[in-house]
Amino acid sequence: MTPATAPPAAAPGIQRRSGSAGRARLFVGRFLSRSDGRYGLLILAFFAVLALFPDLLVGKLETATTATGQSLQPPGGGYLFGTDELGRDILNLTVHGARISMAIGLMATVITVVLGALVGIVAGYVGGPTDTVLMRVSDFFLVLPTIVLAIILAPIILDIVGADAELFGIRATMIVIIVVIGLTSWATTARVIRSQVLSVKMRMFVDRARVVGSGPGRIMRRHVLPNVVNLIVAQAVLTFATAVFTETTLAFIGLGDPFAPSWGQILNSAQGAGAPGLGAWWYIAPPAICVVLVVLAFTLVGNALDDILNPRSGARR
Amino acid sequence: MTVDLAIRGRRQWPMPKQADPAAPLLRVEDLSVRFRMPNGSVKAVDGVSFGLDDGEALGIAGESGCGKTTTALSLVKLLPANGYIKGGRVELFGIDLVPKTELQIARYRWREISIVFQGAMNALNPVQRIGDQIAEPIEIRLGQPRESSRKRAGELLELVGIPRERVASYPHELSGGMRQRAMIAMALACDPAIVIGDEPTTALDVMVQAQILQLLERLRRDLGLSLILITHDLSVIAETCDRVMIMYAGRVAEEGQVRRVFSAPRHPYTQKLLSSFPNVRTDRRTLEVIPGMPPDLRNPPPGCRFAPRCPSAMPVCSEVVPPEVRFADGVRVACHLYPTSDVTSDPPGARPAAPTAAGEPAP
Repeated sequence: MTPATAPPAAAPGIQRRSGSAGRARLFVGRFLSRSDGRYGLLILAFFAVLALFPDLLVGKLETATTATGQSLQPPGGGYLFGTDELGRDILNLTVHGARISMAIGLMATVITVVLGALVGIVAGYVGGPTDTVLMRVSDFFLVLPTIVLAIILAPIILDIVGADAELFGIRATMIVIIVVIGLTSWATTARVIRSQVLSVKMRMFVDRARVVGSGPGRIMRRHVLPNVVNLIVAQAVLTFATAVFTETTLAFIGLGDPFAPSWGQILNSAQGAGAPGLGAWWYIAPPAICVVLVVLAFTLVGNALDDILNPRSGARR
Repeated sequence: MTVDLAIRGRRQWPMPKQADPAAPLLRVEDLSVRFRMPNGSVKAVDGVSFGLDDGEALGIAGESGCGKTTTALSLVKLLPANGYIKGGRVELFGIDLVPKTELQIARYRWREISIVFQGAMNALNPVQRIGDQIAEPIEIRLGQPRESSRKRAGELLELVGIPRERVASYPHELSGGMRQRAMIAMALACDPAIVIGDEPTTALDVMVQAQILQLLERLRRDLGLSLILITHDLSVIAETCDRVMIMYAGRVAEEGQVRRVFSAPRHPYTQKLLSSFPNVRTDRRTLEVIPGMPPDLRNPPPGCRFAPRCPSAMPVCSEVVPPEVRFADGVRVACHLYPTSDVTSDPPGARPAAPTAAGEPAP
């Protein structure tokens, strides 16, 4: 009878944990009590330090002109990880690579999450034809193969803006990678968030807000968004892992920026120098292990967050 | 219908422009609400009429699905997408709200008629501070700046007996009773003329229930509110309301002063409903049940809708819709047991002061 489409009363346990400092404390406790969350966070903290202070840790990024070592020197003798074919310290490159890989991952994640959340919330809340159109568009992006799109887009964008162009101090080649990762991964986020919005908008407080006079924009901003923020965070973390991995792949196949040695870029140069054939394992192993560790850490943290925050993952008892 | 100018003088915000100051607060006439369904249209409310005076409390009672909430919410056209008002008039200060468009009716929502929703936990956003939620209608409906809205929210919380500091609390940090109080504070935010309480005490324990009812009673006295209380708990109505309207299957069965209706119920449905409630003063006995189910409102029975379950049904009951008979004590009953004769010729607003013996139609 009630016009307000009241959902069956949600279990009080779910709502009791919403909002506030008390919830935050509870959440941190739950997160740290899981070994995946703990170890993931530890690894991420380590790489965050590398990415934030590479100059303090290993000095400035070495280039062919500032390189001090000999070509392809094995580990030892002042070079912990050996040197590359130009005599650059692999340790130096790997630590600086952390900054570049993480920066690209972060920016791609921001694009993905902002776009995904926006589309997800609007599609879910507005519904109707808007929802249909947005979801069909997301279907399209969902099936786009990242690498193929990148190979096509990279030269096009570079041709338009010029390879040396800079945007906010970021070189165009890096922007291409960021845009490509963002374009190919927002659709997943949008779908996940839309599904949650569909359930949030049926809750009675949304009806109440409407009666009180809030317009759709205000309801989406003030009432729906805060209730899906947990999902957005979990999605962001998982997207970050994918973004780092995709960046590595794209740089490895030669779509990266040669002047910004991300881990993928180092692997690309290693391959170009014939490191595998020459037995120079020290050239390949450090960046590769870093990529694996970072992706693993993000996945661990993301899964932990997802289990704790996503009401439908079933772990929330 | 009386107009209490003292109560209207207490308004903080001006009356709607088209308002007639001499018109009664609320008069609903022959209101019909339908719901479009895949297999036919549901006659959820069918020809309901009632009035509400300044400072008066009206209780609407009846079993689930009888149209209580729909009646109340359709006053400001808050129906689900498939619901619509088929006909009738809803006059607030003499302004008919039924033909108003969505944009025009917005001015009346919350500023004139506000709602205390049932289940405060669900009606509050779990991740927004209480104060911000109470301030929301003040900001939007009255166009007040955020700062003064927040301040007003604190005052409103104090008014309903919650410390002002709790504006910064989240809903889950409040007890069930406090949440319901916060909902009441929100309903009062724009100083409305009428507050609709949609089962405001359901799902609260009896002590808290009593506190909430006392609060509503006090607010009604202090602020001059008019109250429409929707409930299926007749004891709540007995305690707080001046008049009661018993609904069955989308129609009014009986309406009148609480004392009159509860002490001498005339409609068989009211009688059955009252005897299915425990009463501490009578002997301990098994409570009565009303056999059968309410009718399917897509296809209601012709004539009286209660006839199939009525113990005193007559042949005429299943053929002719019973007209409303107004007794001398002001109680309206729609039942064939009471011959219409000339009592219906009373003007609908008239309420004779001297009641005759209960149960006897006025001559």
